[in-house]
Amino acid sequence: MSEPRQITSEDLALFAMQLLSKGEMDEVATHVAQSEEARRELAEIQGDLAIYAHTADMHSPPALARERLLKQVAREKKAIPIDRPAVVETRAPEPAGRTDSVAAEGVRGGGQRSTLGLGSDESPVEEMPKQSVVVKLFPWAGWAVAAGLAMGAGNLYYQRGALRGAVVAQASRIDHLTTDAAVARQVMETMTDSSAMRVTLVTKGQPAPLPTGRATYVASKGSLIFLASNLEPLQPAKTYELWLIPAAAGVNPIPAGTFRPDERGNASVILPTLPKGVEAKAFGVTVEDEGGSTTPTQPIILVGE
Amino acid sequence: MYRETGLTNSSPASSQDDATLLTLVERGDEPAMAALFDRYSKVVYSVALRVLRDPAAAEDVLQEVFMQIWRKPDSFVATRGSLGGWLAVVSRNRSIDTLRRKRPMEQVDDMALASNYNLADEAERNSMMEKARGVIRLLPMEQRKTLEMAFFDGLTHSEIAEMTGDPLGTVKTRIRSALGSLRKAFTA
Repeated sequence: MSEPRQITSEDLALFAMQLLSKGEMDEVATHVAQSEEARRELAEIQGDLAIYAHTADMHSPPALARERLLKQVAREKKAIPIDRPAVVETRAPEPAGRTDSVAAEGVRGGGQRSTLGLGSDESPVEEMPKQSVVVKLFPWAGWAVAAGLAMGAGNLYYQRGALRGAVVAQASRIDHLTTDAAVARQVMETMTDSSAMRVTLVTKGQPAPLPTGRATYVASKGSLIFLASNLEPLQPAKTYELWLIPAAAGVNPIPAGTFRPDERGNASVILPTLPKGVEAKAFGVTVEDEGGSTTPTQPIILVGE
Repeated sequence: MYRETGLTNSSPASSQDDATLLTLVERGDEPAMAALFDRYSKVVYSVALRVLRDPAAAEDVLQEVFMQIWRKPDSFVATRGSLGGWLAVVSRNRSIDTLRRKRPMEQVDDMALASNYNLADEAERNSMMEKARGVIRLLPMEQRKTLEMAFFDGLTHSEIAEMTGDPLGTVKTRIRSALGSLRKAFTA
């Protein structure tokens, strides 16, 4: 087992300048922590080095360095402690003998680092007080909120544009439907208006036309329009009834609405209630009791296939 | 060799002592921080520039050192007697650390600094500076060069020994002797 080597003032000087190997640094640190005299000597050496540092050629820092520092300082504004007394802790320069306390504070037991020492291994970020972290982050919170608001506003703007487009499309569709409805209503009113003038044109010189009916039917939609002219007047309590005769065998005729002709023999049945998809073989008109019938009564006045 | 005195940094408005300024800095007083910068930035920058020989890197060290004051000013008041001396040594250590990032080296424990001088006082600082330069000029060339290589160039005693061809013990003795001469001159 080798004896621990003696730590000399030369070693302390190298230690102060951080020029020893890690093992040597640990060894000297341990010695300093255990020796009051070594701590005192180390503080003296640090004082010597401080003086020596001032022998460097003096150069003014770049003009922008001050501005750069103060900007950084402003960015890291501090939360000012309001409960701390404003007493300034002053410390007169140490006398030539330089006290042990100064040295003792420098190297703490076991080589612990001081909060703000001469070493180069301290991380400024880690040293920042807790409130300083909050203060440091606070300015970024404003930017974060602004970014969030900007994103929200952008999203709302996009939604507004989409909704505006949808409204325009719907308005256009409504306009078309309104126009179609108006045309359909006009068609319907023209066909059903009792005062409408209905004329059947025939070859000139021919006899007066016979009772005639014209049915227009769309089986898939169950839509039927029937127009008749020159019908004979009916007795009271009687009515004409239109029948749809299905093409399918064995299916009974389907009543398609009752109607009475006006004084000029004209009548119409517009869109009666009919089942969809029933193919028609023929249409017929009978005379029934008022209120209509579920089965046609002979004779068939008009028929068309 | 020594072209400037380092006196032009002090602001007329910053007549308060270091402890007062540090207390104000602790309370978030930015003008106090500016006053400390005006007072010591030249020394800090000059030491860093001497070590690094790179103005941009030296300015980075300058910023780092003063931001450390801004972030944690109270610890210095409690443990140090001379802010100017402490800043000069911290600047040197930070600069050496910058150099060593290219060749990683172990970190060190912190140390206190004992000082007889109030470097906040312009006249006293100037006096100390000139006196130190005079002492160094009078040192034997070997001692002066060895101390310079160790302190400003960050060379270990082994590296110095290898470069100069001197024994390790001789290098260590020269460093210690140079510092001893400096101390003797200032305590006489």
